[in-house]
Amino acid sequence: MTMTTTDLTDRSEDVIMEVSNARVSFGMERGRARVLNDVSMDVRRGEILGVMGESGSGKSMFADALLDAVVDPGVLQGELTYYPGDGEPIDLLSLSEEERRRYRWEDVAMVFQGAMSSFNPVRKIRTHFVDTLNAHDYDVDRGLERAKDLLGDLYLDADRVLDSYPHELSGGMKQRILIALSLVLDPEMLVMDEPTAALDLLMQRSIIALIEEIQSKHDLTIVFITHDIPLVAGLADRLAVLYAFEFIELGPADDVLAEPAHPYTRALLRTTPNLETPLEEMRPIEGSSPDPVNIPSGCSYHPRCPMADDQCREVDPEPYRVDDDHIAHCHHWDEAIEEESPVAVGGDDRTPTRAYVGPDGEDAEDPLVSLDDVEVHFEQKSGGLLSRAEPETVAAVDGVDIDIHENDTVVLVGESGCGKTTLGKVAVGAQRPTGGSVSYRGQDVWDAKDMLGGVSIPFEEIRRALQIIHQDPGSSLNSHRRVRAILETPLRRWFPELDGNDRIQRILGMLEYVGISPPEDYIERYPHQLSGGEKQRITLIRSMLMDPELILADEAVSALDVSLRVEMMDLMIELQEQFDTSFLFISHNLSNARYLAEKTGGRIAVMYLGEIVEIGTVDRIINDPQHPYTQALKWATPDLDPDDEIETADSPIRTIDIPDPSNPPSGCRYHTRCAKAREVCRVETPELIEADEGPGHQRAACFRAYDDHAYWNSEPIVEGPSEE
Amino acid sequence: MTADSHDCEPGPDDGESADDDGVGGILRGDGGQVGTPFDTTADVRETRWDRYGRAIDGYIRMPLTIMRQDWRSIVGLSIVAVYLLMGTVLTWTVEPTRTGDGPQFVQPFETWEYPLGTNEMGQDLFAQTVHSTGPVLTMMASGALFTVVMGTFFGLVAGYKGGEVDTVLSSITDVFINIPGLPLVIVLSVLFEPTHPISVGILLAVAAWAGLARAIRSQVLAIRDESFVEAARMMDVPTPELLIKEILPHLMPYIMVNLVNAARTIIFSAVALYYLGVLPFADANWGVMLNQAYHAGAIYRPDATHWLVVPMVAIAGISIGLLLIAQSLDRVFNPRVRARHADTGDAEDGDGTEPGSTEMMKQV
Ligand code: SF4
Ligand code: SF4
Repeated sequence: MTMTTTDLTDRSEDVIMEVSNARVSFGMERGRARVLNDVSMDVRRGEILGVMGESGSGKSMFADALLDAVVDPGVLQGELTYYPGDGEPIDLLSLSEEERRRYRWEDVAMVFQGAMSSFNPVRKIRTHFVDTLNAHDYDVDRGLERAKDLLGDLYLDADRVLDSYPHELSGGMKQRILIALSLVLDPEMLVMDEPTAALDLLMQRSIIALIEEIQSKHDLTIVFITHDIPLVAGLADRLAVLYAFEFIELGPADDVLAEPAHPYTRALLRTTPNLETPLEEMRPIEGSSPDPVNIPSGCSYHPRCPMADDQCREVDPEPYRVDDDHIAHCHHWDEAIEEESPVAVGGDDRTPTRAYVGPDGEDAEDPLVSLDDVEVHFEQKSGGLLSRAEPETVAAVDGVDIDIHENDTVVLVGESGCGKTTLGKVAVGAQRPTGGSVSYRGQDVWDAKDMLGGVSIPFEEIRRALQIIHQDPGSSLNSHRRVRAILETPLRRWFPELDGNDRIQRILGMLEYVGISPPEDYIERYPHQLSGGEKQRITLIRSMLMDPELILADEAVSALDVSLRVEMMDLMIELQEQFDTSFLFISHNLSNARYLAEKTGGRIAVMYLGEIVEIGTVDRIINDPQHPYTQALKWATPDLDPDDEIETADSPIRTIDIPDPSNPPSGCRYHTRCAKAREVCRVETPELIEADEGPGHQRAACFRAYDDHAYWNSEPIVEGPSEE
Repeated sequence: MTADSHDCEPGPDDGESADDDGVGGILRGDGGQVGTPFDTTADVRETRWDRYGRAIDGYIRMPLTIMRQDWRSIVGLSIVAVYLLMGTVLTWTVEPTRTGDGPQFVQPFETWEYPLGTNEMGQDLFAQTVHSTGPVLTMMASGALFTVVMGTFFGLVAGYKGGEVDTVLSSITDVFINIPGLPLVIVLSVLFEPTHPISVGILLAVAAWAGLARAIRSQVLAIRDESFVEAARMMDVPTPELLIKEILPHLMPYIMVNLVNAARTIIFSAVALYYLGVLPFADANWGVMLNQAYHAGAIYRPDATHWLVVPMVAIAGISIGLLLIAQSLDRVFNPRVRARHADTGDAEDGDGTEPGSTEMMKQV
């Protein structure tokens, strides 16, 4: 099938990199794993090629193959040819050690995720640049000039940054520096493997916009590898979809998104939460990705494909030409494409969202959990032993009021460092606030713990009622205990009347209920034998077994693969309805927040630097955000629309970097970034008030929500989109 | 409701059955009462034997199965078993020896009467070695247990509790770390003149536990902030249970290695101190034998060499045995290894979901 991929694509295109029949395999105890399975691909000069795939689809292997950087014990075979703009084609697999070293930074450079670990912590940024230039015998002075230009293009203050140590810079800055560093030798092609995965929404979006600018300025070819389809939707010229270590669809981004021809691509698009698609049309993909040792015969997608027939099970599909430039590896692509498009392109025909069905704001019956003017201040020790400096206090949460009712859902949204996790932990009594109070059904939680005053509800009961699901399924289960022991713990503690057989029976029932089957098999497993999704289900069951009233789910789906997220969210929502539990979700992602809140009829609360800046029903927050920060988050949430071009020019924020939380800005904390800020915002602090438009449940902390306020007569703060 | 759940969640079933055909037949152990999964109970009461069975499986059968597959543990366990036999069965069958039992300096392997030869006083070295075994093993065990129990307790509690408890416990630990060990032991042994093997063992370990306590404390500090510990706290698991069930297993490999090493340290220092004559002795043991041999000038007398060699071999043997066990114990506590030996035999299909394969490759 492979030679044909190249044949099918248009030969007249100027190709910079030709990959044919690339294969990476390595031996494992269980057999030979093929983690890249005869892949062919032409990368065209000057394009942005988006490669998307879930984890375990071989996408990182593809990136490594392009740089001939596959590590042992992996073995790369096949043909990879690089065509420089001038000079002879280079055959990657026959390069000498020295040639390969040169090729890797001077011709093709790579930016990967986790910028944090790629800098040497004891050396200044400048040293990193100088070392790179020296290692490749480049002129250091000219190189540094170029570096400064690049850093400037990335909205960094070049001189300051070069003289900093890595730990003095934020993650977003480091990621941008890494991009500059990879470009300092003027390569022709840049391979980016999830370059923004660890970053916040606004930063992601800003970096994507910067990538686009840099690409046209420096005539780059970019291969952008990601699991996040909406992220590349507006960026890529062509899109390639990886499934089970092969490309299954390739074509111009618009075509692939608007009329995907492969059933997997269609399913993937349907399962990706975004702000546009009506909820009824979202559904999870059933099944899981194949094991590299044991790839299904015929079409590798057939076990999960609703359209699979005998032909699919036996014959590996050739690339079929859908269009001039659009190919799909599916026997029945013509039927698949007949179906309605999974993405509403540019459309505005979204169905009205479900009305807010929760209790009405403040005046409803007694709240389940009520936070009153909660503050959490951390002391940060600065300096060494001899420094006399006062410890700095960081206000992680500053004066937050929020009520959570029975059967309620609240989703906290915000960038990292905005205090959402701390606030969540305070709400479930996992963290003691330094100011304000938390009460459970009217009983102050910490008074109950300390036995202060008349305690109407004992702390034990409060403890049982408030539970937590952690972000990282890997560390929330004890790796030394079997599923049975993990799930028996809450039962032993809270249901002493059950004996061992009862406990096991109940655990089996729950496992089956959440779709883990056969449960007898899973109950004896250790966490390392579970997939990420299964681990997350186990944590969900563990907290459900306590029969809680409120569960804090801290980014409970963000560690999962795209295709599993909707499934997991649906499961949580189902359990909520079944067992009358309230949920406090935490998310950095507005799309997931919208999905959860809209399905449960809950509220979204937007946090910025320790404060809630806007709170309201989904409908209001997503469709009519009042606070400029919410508007910026909405802008930064990519959707699946390929026409959605991103420009830094219309960015609603003035700076991309978050201010130092230990020294928050005066007045409205958002004024340093707010595009609508005026002078008065520097000095006065807006209260969270009822937003003037529309009825009911939306409150925002911004002067623009006031009808008559000094704001409207104040001078705008003018600084262009600027450096830090 | 159960049917309902099937509609919503057929996902994993399908995926699984693709690669492990035929596992999905049996679904419920004993078909307990089905209501909502929340009030399911079993029809069959759990008997005491069920509980014991599970305990035996986890604590005895499984470790033995794992150890059986590693030559180091087989050899190590065999060596230690020989010493245990010497300390028990042989002690009852072999007559203790007295001065003048036989001629002076019979060479080893000359007669069956004195298989390892005799010493200057005509004592049978074999009998002497055998009768030393029991006290020496007791001494090693008591000293090693003392080290490990104290070290683990101080480290675990100080690390987990933090705050003032930590300050107090850590200060005590630091005091013991900073007292020079050997002089302390010498002073104490002169003061107390311990002769019973258990008191000798504890005396020799008196300063050894502090280092372990400090190491464990720093490991606990790292584990304490893991999400699963917070989850256990949120479930209101009592602190002792939390420490033992959630945190201790992560430290077990480290503790076991220390246990074995502590035992070796005890025997070495005991021998050294007996040899120097610092520890008072009533009965013979390997250290005492060395001491006597030295004072009889065995180093310069070829016909007395075996007098030195026999106790040295005895000491080296147990030390090597323990070392091999320590090395192989690591595997017993490794969940990845344990999983492969689970009696349910799920290891093979479990591997399909093991993150190792793809994740390892992803990290590049
Ligand atoms: S070839 Fe068959 S199984 Fe594969 S995606 Fe197409 S229809 Fe589905
Ligand atoms: S108060 Fe001013 S700075 Fe703050 S969000 Fe509103 S307009 Fe922007």
